[in-house]
Amino acid sequence: MSKTDKVSRRDMIKAGGVVVAAAATGLLPDDAEAKKKKRRKKKKKLPHWAMIVDLRRCIGCRGCCIADKAEYGAALGRFNTVVKNVEWGKYPDPQKHFLPRLCNHCSGDESKEWQVPPCVEICPESKSGKRLKMGKETYRTGATYKRPDGMILLDPKLCIGCYKCIDACPYGVRSPDPNVKLTRPDREKDFGVGKCTFCRHRVDKGIVTSCVNTCQGRARNFGDLNDPKSDVAKLAKEHKLLENRDKSTLLPNMKTNPNVFYIDPDGVLEHYNKKLSKETKFAEFKSAFE
Amino acid sequence: MANLTRRNFIQLGIASGALLAAEEGFISPALAGRVKLKKGGKDFNFKTDAERTAIPTACWSCVTRCAAMGFVEDGRLVKMESNPKSIRTLGKMCAKGQSGPNDVYFPDRLLYPMIRVGKRGEGKWKRISWDNALAELTVRLKKLRDDGHPEKFMFHYGRMKASSSKLIKSVFLATYGTKTISGHTSICEGGKWTSQELTWGKHYDNWDFDNTNFILNFGSNVQEAHTNHIPTSQRLIRAKVERGVKSVTFDVRYSNTAAKSDEWIPIKPGTDGAVALAMCNVIMQNDLYDKSFFKFIRATENVNASNDEKIATLKAHLKQYTPQWAEKISGVSAAKIESIAKEFAKTKPAVVINYRGSVAHYNGNDTERACQMLAAITGNIDNPGGRCRGVGPKWKYPKGPKNKPKAKKLKLAHGFPGTIAYPNHGVCQQVLPMIKDGKAGRPEIYMWYCYNPVYANGDNQGNIDVLKDEKMIPFTVTSNIVYDESSKLADMILPDATYLERWDWEDMVDPNQIGEHYIRQALIKPLGEARDLGDVVIELAEKMGMPLGVGASKEEFVKKSHEMTAKAVKGFPGFDYMKKHGVWHDKNAKPKYYSHKKEIKADKLKGAILDEATGVYWDPHKAHAKHPEEGYAKTKKAYKGYVGQKMGDKVYKGFPPDKVNKTGYLELYSALLKMKGHPALPTYVPVPEHEKMKSDELVLTTYKVAVHVHSRSTHRKWLAEVYHDNPGWINPKTAGARGIKDGDKIKVKSKIGEIVTKAHVTEKIVPGIIAISHHVGREESGRYASGKKSPFAHDNDPDLKRIFWKAHGVHPNWIIPNSPDPINGQQCWMDTVVTVSKA
Amino acid sequence: MIETTRQRSNIYRLLALIYRTEITKALLKHIRDPKFLSILSDMGAELEDDFLKGPEDNLIEVLAVEYARLFLGPDKHISPHESVHHERGDGDWGTLWGKSTVEVKNFIETSGLEYKSDYLGMPDHISVELEFMNQAAGREAQAREENDNDGVLCCLKMEKKFIDEHLTKWLPVFCKKIISEAKLPFYREMARITNNFIEFEKDEINRYIAEAEKEETSQVS
Repeated sequence: MSKTDKVSRRDMIKAGGVVVAAAATGLLPDDAEAKKKKRRKKKKKLPHWAMIVDLRRCIGCRGCCIADKAEYGAALGRFNTVVKNVEWGKYPDPQKHFLPRLCNHCSGDESKEWQVPPCVEICPESKSGKRLKMGKETYRTGATYKRPDGMILLDPKLCIGCYKCIDACPYGVRSPDPNVKLTRPDREKDFGVGKCTFCRHRVDKGIVTSCVNTCQGRARNFGDLNDPKSDVAKLAKEHKLLENRDKSTLLPNMKTNPNVFYIDPDGVLEHYNKKLSKETKFAEFKSAFE
Repeated sequence: MANLTRRNFIQLGIASGALLAAEEGFISPALAGRVKLKKGGKDFNFKTDAERTAIPTACWSCVTRCAAMGFVEDGRLVKMESNPKSIRTLGKMCAKGQSGPNDVYFPDRLLYPMIRVGKRGEGKWKRISWDNALAELTVRLKKLRDDGHPEKFMFHYGRMKASSSKLIKSVFLATYGTKTISGHTSICEGGKWTSQELTWGKHYDNWDFDNTNFILNFGSNVQEAHTNHIPTSQRLIRAKVERGVKSVTFDVRYSNTAAKSDEWIPIKPGTDGAVALAMCNVIMQNDLYDKSFFKFIRATENVNASNDEKIATLKAHLKQYTPQWAEKISGVSAAKIESIAKEFAKTKPAVVINYRGSVAHYNGNDTERACQMLAAITGNIDNPGGRCRGVGPKWKYPKGPKNKPKAKKLKLAHGFPGTIAYPNHGVCQQVLPMIKDGKAGRPEIYMWYCYNPVYANGDNQGNIDVLKDEKMIPFTVTSNIVYDESSKLADMILPDATYLERWDWEDMVDPNQIGEHYIRQALIKPLGEARDLGDVVIELAEKMGMPLGVGASKEEFVKKSHEMTAKAVKGFPGFDYMKKHGVWHDKNAKPKYYSHKKEIKADKLKGAILDEATGVYWDPHKAHAKHPEEGYAKTKKAYKGYVGQKMGDKVYKGFPPDKVNKTGYLELYSALLKMKGHPALPTYVPVPEHEKMKSDELVLTTYKVAVHVHSRSTHRKWLAEVYHDNPGWINPKTAGARGIKDGDKIKVKSKIGEIVTKAHVTEKIVPGIIAISHHVGREESGRYASGKKSPFAHDNDPDLKRIFWKAHGVHPNWIIPNSPDPINGQQCWMDTVVTVSKA
Repeated sequence: MIETTRQRSNIYRLLALIYRTEITKALLKHIRDPKFLSILSDMGAELEDDFLKGPEDNLIEVLAVEYARLFLGPDKHISPHESVHHERGDGDWGTLWGKSTVEVKNFIETSGLEYKSDYLGMPDHISVELEFMNQAAGREAQAREENDNDGVLCCLKMEKKFIDEHLTKWLPVFCKKIISEAKLPFYREMARITNNFIEFEKDEINRYIAEAEKEETSQVS
């Protein structure tokens, strides 16, 4: 299995399946060098990771919530992903829908010069880490940072525990994580911050996220939007998710540009968005059931 | 030109390689990228990125027993996933399965053999060595056997399946000589099984969602909990979203299954049978039945009746069950019944599904039969897309000593004499009441395994009273992983291995109708001094001087079973393959449908005789019949000799009987039921208690949630965190009439007791009932379940300090009496009449 | 076994190159290598003297004309595309961009490969189908190298499916037509070899699969 920068977007397939890199046996073209370069350039186009949750398929089994607990040995009292019941209507025609939630791995407001989500924007250590390269792009890690492939990640070695990102996230996906020990001498708290990482450690090795792996309804789909043949790209196209972010993402008015999309023919998000506020947002990730 | 040889191509290949190595000057390929391969079952540490060791095994959280992968890191089990190679699970797993590691490492786990020091139930314990524990058991068991009373050793199990069941029950207990054995099926799904045995023979109906076009559901919550949950549930939602298959759910509660159905139809409890019969009536009167299937139906006493006679009989019988009649009983409008019946009959194929919501009632046996009738008259039986007979894999196993003693038994397992017509799967909930009663004798040693007799049955206090009484049962012993409400009443506790620490072969039904072999292998060594009961009985037998000869351990038993299976099942690859891959199925096997249509040719009828009365060809020798002249119906266990059913001038495989001497027809008309004084054709009988209900009384119904296992998972912290409280669901109308608001403390009172719990006032339930789930509300089972520490528990789990929930729920079984369905013994979980008031 | 797989992959690649366009200089040079010619001759390929000895430039020209006449037109020619020759039960065949074209495209793309943007031909051109087999067998060889028996089986099954559902459904007809229409022995002989090779593969692949399955059963972790 190849390392991070070598994993091609073609390496992902869904449903617990995984893919292995293969050395291409093809031969070099006539004008070998030029085309070789061109091809490499094309191949190196970075992935744009996204999750698409098909609400028609979620049956509320909470397998994902527990799969995540197990994957990370997550502490009691906090979840990286939850499934919320969204209910309305009166007997004899009540409505109950299931809404899987996780970090939205937002792209951030496009109109801003530095396009990052609020959690990264507010992090005093958002660019304090090493200068790294991913594909052609150079980026700096930070206590909370955006990787060029779109993942919003955390580095406890750089985190001072100011918890500003926890408040900054309009979705309430972040919380202090007693399993993350901070080490900097100038730290403000002993514990860092926890949230969904899109299973970076699996995805970088070509394995789908833990929640997608277990999802019996196949409600959760993960993959690369830059790859037109990926399931997520196909779903995004079929359901026009990118064009209709106000209907396919949570809190569209926050202009965070989430990379978690929902296929939502029943208008579940509309009901839920009304409920999601500064006051209520943290409670949502304390319980995976109601 | 002559055919070219392999050598030619080898040479050409080599030469081409040399030629192509030059690379330059060739046209560039048309294709780019790389051929990708599917691979599954990998996991990595999220901090170090190191790969975790993957070991194929099988889950045991619920009876579905999914093929699984365990991921081990530094000798510690860290994660469970499904086995991506399994054709049953398709690489998917539920919340319960995902919580597997908790089962091993919960801090209140039983890890050492213990013996009580105070009075029984007082909770004072002493640790003892395995040697001492087994020595004491050996002395006690040996004495009973040597005195000629092995039957005074009663073994009562909760879940014991496949190799565990074969080794412990068929080998060990049989060699010892006791048949005083009870399972727990009647508090689970026994009613459904028996009803199926009375209609189409062997139990387990598989619902072919992959191929169906319409789903009619009476009280199954398949998307939260089901006997074959992951394989079935995911196929249901797939059919709905990918193929737009319509589903209609009748339930008293708006379950998650109802929520994902196109339509939820609220129905009064215990009346599904009335609606199903009215639908049968609509289908028959409108001639929407599938005439061709009637050939395989028995609808009259006369087994040689023509299709027209059968149709006429059913029409006449069903005439009484008009939609208007059913509306009055069930609350479902006549128009709705009629339209759904027609849609169900006209959509081909369609599947009728149902489970405990409709079966765990006083009248459940005939509700199941009515559902079978719906499927049969529309030809949706054992067909692609219909209600099919479950197919599992075939295993062979060592049977132990050849000359086993003739086993003796105390008649405790099948209910009070004469009260149950066909207790095919026992009457588990009556075992303790019968011990109390004493007329059938009392065991001297009562052992239970993977079972919580106090909590899993109704009337919890009654169970405690019996189990606690040293005069009624002199010695109690359990093998368990958790110190639960029953372990507390044991005299000796043997710490069991969890399913993740032991070996098994497994055999649950495959939704593809093919059958998948799969195994459970120990992912890690058992913690502490825990031991698999399978290993323990092998040693016990040795100590009692009756070696079983099945290998020195369960693992060896499983290995030997593989060797024997390899000889009997074509293509079966053996133990090493199974250890590596975990699953196997015959890739050339075709899905098994329509096996009833198989004709039995004359050569297969050798040794068989025709029983004129039933049209059954049977082999009296195979059935060990001493007086075959008494006929098939009257000979004990004659069904074991069943060969085929005569239909017209041909003999068909039909629907072979199991447990009872039915014919090879799909019996809508049951001579067996008639013989016992019950209606032969499916009939609606109201639940007697419901008939007598006063206007202020409600029906108590119970249910399962997706994140818990019956009574066996509250100690798993990840599940307890998600679901630890179970307020009673009650409709606003019902609550309002009693001045109850959401969250209020309420008193729920039945004829045997009362509980105080909280109200959850919700639109998702029919008025007139209260629904309480039955997983939580523990008094023991450790700190995650009840807040109470178990004896000798340790404190090395940092999550113990993070338990944020104070509420542990209230168990409903305290107020549910142990009442069996008079036909099959199924516990009537959903019938209890209660009053509800503000506490 | 790795060697055999590599050899199979190579043959597919060579054949792909032969059908892809007119023969290039580089390719011709290699084919005219005496060692290579002797192998062809062993296989019963009767090539004319011109091919064996004539001046290179002239030969390129002659072969190019023959290639165009056979496969490109403008007059009556033998279209080197599956959808033209693959006789389907549903009647949807005989034209370019038919159902078979779509199937081949889907098949190839599902395997993880993609058509390069600089490839302007049809998805079901004979050379692409052969190249696909070259890639698949190449991947199989890699899996063998890694002792990845699952991977080997996966590739083999894909190869078999492609042979059964596509190659054998049209190459025999196609090759037969070339054999009867060709004026120069080169393409006639190549068509013979192609046809024979596919026949050979069709049988052998089952043997490879059986072996890999046996391996699968005997492997111990």
